[in-house]
Amino acid sequence: MQITPLLNDGYAGEPAKRVLNYVQDHRQAGDPVVGIYCGYAPIELIQAMGIVPAVLCAFSKVPIAAAETVLPANLCPLIKSSYGFIIEGTCPFYAMSQAVIAETTCDGKKKMFELIADIKPTHVMDLPQVPDEAEARSNWKQMIVKLQGFLETHFDRQADEEKIEASLQAANRKNALMRRIFDYAARVPSVLHWKEMYDLSFLAIAATGQEMVPLLEPLPDILEQRVREGFHVGPPKAPRVLVTGCPVGGDATKIFNTIEVAGGVVVAPDACTGMKAFMGEFAENSGDPIGAMAERYLKIPCACMTPNERRLTDLSAMIGHFKPDAVIDFVLQACHAYNVESFKIGRHVEEVHGLPFLKIETDYSDADTEQLRTRIEALFESI
Amino acid sequence: MSEDYRSMWTDLGLDLVAHDALLSVLGQGYQDIYLSQKNRPEGMAYFDFVMSEVHGLRIKELLDEKAAGRKIVGSFCVFVPEELVLAANATLVGLCSGADFATEDVERLLPRNTCALIKSSFGFKLGKVCPYLESADMIVGENTCDGKKKAYESLGGLVNNLYVMDLPQVKSANGKALLKAEYQRFKAALEDLTGVAITKESLKDAIHTVNAKRAAIHRLSALRKADPAPISGLDALLANQVFFYDNPARFTESVNKICDELEKRIAAKQGVFPAKTPRILVSGCPQAVPNWKLPMIVEAAGAVIVGEESCVGERGTRHLTDASGETVEQMLDAIVDRHFQVDCAIFTPNPDRLEHIQQMVADYHADGVIHYGLQFCQPYLMESMPVEKALEDRQIPCLRIETDYSMEDVGQLKTRIEAFVEQLK
Amino acid sequence: MGQRYAGIDIGSRTIELVVVDETDAIIESQERDTGFDPMAEAKGMIEKVSFDRIMATGYGRNLFEISFDAMTVTEIKAHARGARALFPDIQAIIDIGGQDSKAIALFDNGRVKKFEMNDRCAAGTGKFLEIMARTLGFSIEDFGPEALLAENSLNISSMCTVFAESEVTSLIAKGENRREIALGLHASVIRRAAGMINRVSTDGEIAFTGGVANNPCMATLLSEKLGRPIRVPEHPQRIGALGAALLAREAD
Repeated sequence: MQITPLLNDGYAGEPAKRVLNYVQDHRQAGDPVVGIYCGYAPIELIQAMGIVPAVLCAFSKVPIAAAETVLPANLCPLIKSSYGFIIEGTCPFYAMSQAVIAETTCDGKKKMFELIADIKPTHVMDLPQVPDEAEARSNWKQMIVKLQGFLETHFDRQADEEKIEASLQAANRKNALMRRIFDYAARVPSVLHWKEMYDLSFLAIAATGQEMVPLLEPLPDILEQRVREGFHVGPPKAPRVLVTGCPVGGDATKIFNTIEVAGGVVVAPDACTGMKAFMGEFAENSGDPIGAMAERYLKIPCACMTPNERRLTDLSAMIGHFKPDAVIDFVLQACHAYNVESFKIGRHVEEVHGLPFLKIETDYSDADTEQLRTRIEALFESI
Repeated sequence: MSEDYRSMWTDLGLDLVAHDALLSVLGQGYQDIYLSQKNRPEGMAYFDFVMSEVHGLRIKELLDEKAAGRKIVGSFCVFVPEELVLAANATLVGLCSGADFATEDVERLLPRNTCALIKSSFGFKLGKVCPYLESADMIVGENTCDGKKKAYESLGGLVNNLYVMDLPQVKSANGKALLKAEYQRFKAALEDLTGVAITKESLKDAIHTVNAKRAAIHRLSALRKADPAPISGLDALLANQVFFYDNPARFTESVNKICDELEKRIAAKQGVFPAKTPRILVSGCPQAVPNWKLPMIVEAAGAVIVGEESCVGERGTRHLTDASGETVEQMLDAIVDRHFQVDCAIFTPNPDRLEHIQQMVADYHADGVIHYGLQFCQPYLMESMPVEKALEDRQIPCLRIETDYSMEDVGQLKTRIEAFVEQLK
Repeated sequence: MGQRYAGIDIGSRTIELVVVDETDAIIESQERDTGFDPMAEAKGMIEKVSFDRIMATGYGRNLFEISFDAMTVTEIKAHARGARALFPDIQAIIDIGGQDSKAIALFDNGRVKKFEMNDRCAAGTGKFLEIMARTLGFSIEDFGPEALLAENSLNISSMCTVFAESEVTSLIAKGENRREIALGLHASVIRRAAGMINRVSTDGEIAFTGGVANNPCMATLLSEKLGRPIRVPEHPQRIGALGAALLAREAD
């Protein structure tokens, strides 16, 4: 069946090229570019200042060998890849960025940023690790204010409260639309393919609310049409899978591909590269837009937070909404935070939701795809 | 054990069979590694006794303290301020984390690729073989590295008295404010536990007690500058390890007694190894009892360890707490200041540690540095490369070791360490 | 007759014995499999030659020291000494033996400046190549020459012997060319070896020692990868024993 692509711009299946094009266009128009690595980077502030946030390359296995000449081998592939891209000079986004925003999320990243700090100006945001601690919100707000100061001096761009508030409100609309589109994956059967979600998320993280909203608004109609035409992703009875855990992109999408090869359908990619980026709302007209930003960002249930109970509540809500038949926790090798937390996630999924659970610990190589397939097929057999 | 402690261990809920096995391995290891050394200072007999009673008499003492109304607080990290614990009429003890135990059970809760120290602390709990942990009224965890931070979430399900302290990761004004807030919360939690309010008198006393203990270690460290070295690295490490277990006043007195003896040795130009023996500084992850693997290999390879840049060593003990404060608030600030200087690799950036390593190389006349990294300990493994590079730029040879508590790699480590020692000669 | 000095390198796979005279000329050399009783094998070897002093190296050196009251030296220093004797201009050595691999950087005077060894597993060693050759159905002698005949190299990502074996098995199952898989395996070992060399030394000539240096594909790929001159001795597996013999003389 012929289906209408969601973004008919010639970049289907090549989200990185689409975003590269987006960033290049802005750069030619004179906008400065700042590199980001993480879902905690407050993009709404960056965008309000007229600066383009570029998500830096971190998902290819190619530069890992170069990185391993300097970094310990027992480090997560995302960090090794990021660092390898930088020392090999192969990340176009890094090349275009005039500075990098870093966060103290995990030990590996924190120490990696120390190594790249002398290559390019790197602004480290000290991220609280106990989000429910009394001081967390004000500390994180201060970090965002400091970031604003760094961006002001570095790029000579300003944003008043009004601009920041407008940016937040536009982001709320963008995020709400994204969630509305994701809802088509929540249908049984799903009419939205994971590659389409992945394509959209890639662009929607970098682009502003103002830019994204007109792009996203027509999409529900296209998806409605799919429903009417009886289109669905995968066989109608295919096992529905929620994938939680570490970010997925580039070579790591082998997890999604393998799920498909094994006969499943990815209905909910819950990660910083997937739905997590579009969850929650910024409080509007609070009179303190930066505080509102701090509040919303601290609600991201990254495993670097402790105790990360919010991940369990959010996961439960997602399970209720997307109705998966199984949950896969995707853990990048040597990512201690997600790896240790996986124990809790598994227990929660099995005991509270009675769903089959599988933890996959892997890297970017293709070495284990056959083994992953066997394990995922066995998971589906248990449904 | 000189007395039968079996009923005490049973009361604590230890698994006697497993505990017997542990003690026999520990005893044999101590015999082979420690008692076989030559030219040991006589004062080390005290530490031999402490080690022989580490699960016996010392536990009995703690239980006696408990019976008299004192509380016992167990900790895994030097960021837990002993001053506050003592001032609240409680005793601080380090919890066991230096040997593999109940590995299969541990790996049901924690990933296999978690560092040996974290796995060990779980193993001692799951295997029911750590009397310190079982006699503790409060166990303090702290958000240092990713592994510990997340592991405490699971440990919380295994014990009913875990208190988790958050820690800063950046040495900024915010970071310091966070540490202070955490210490204030900890102080309140301690007072709540013991029912004893910390006063300026009790806090001042506590600061003096802990400072005295640190000063004794400083004195011992300074004597290790001599060539020939008057004490082996193994023995000095042991003193640094017992620092975490022993009664503070008795520890201070015993270390000072050893120092008196070492001063005489130095005056007589006597040492444990001949003069001009290659001198090595160990830097990196902590080595907890009974993790004596590295110094055992180094000293058997014909070198002597003259310092430990480690939490079980100079990183943990080098700063004193300013005792001049007149109010609890001022002294609390001094405690914050003191602990905020600890240059653990969890901080970013962490330039002070590199400075300190170089300072120690100079002070202890080290010929080379062995960077000791526990497998999967990302903060120290990540720092090991820049540390190595900085040292080599200054013509200081450096060997990076990445290992765990198992004995499988002893053969390979021996080759590497012997080659390193050859390089220094 | 002048004094004779022996060096014995007791490795995990083979034992080598070299005897030199007072002018450092090699007057005798022997080699045999380590087998299950290395000390019995070593005894058999030294009984056949005469020498005045002996120095042992290799992983069995400490056992030999106890059994025969000999001096010992680590493989690292022995390889450094042996390789420098043959190639006076080298700046570094890569030694890939049966169970471990090491990269050694030298000072101009020949002393060890810095070294690295592989982790505790067999990844990137002779053992790894041996297992992979067997998985692919090549003899160990043919493995390198066959790999050199491949037109393309397949990328092998696993360095762990166990994972690589299953990766190779699945490539065979997919019908991939055996020579190309072989070349890919060689390239993966070289990537690791090159990483080790680069961490200790960045320029100058390199000696390639250890049994794996007999594999022509390894030397070719190594020089391509590093862009530095690679010198392979005629009997690369004997360099440790030679170094030990020379050090025995110098200790006299």
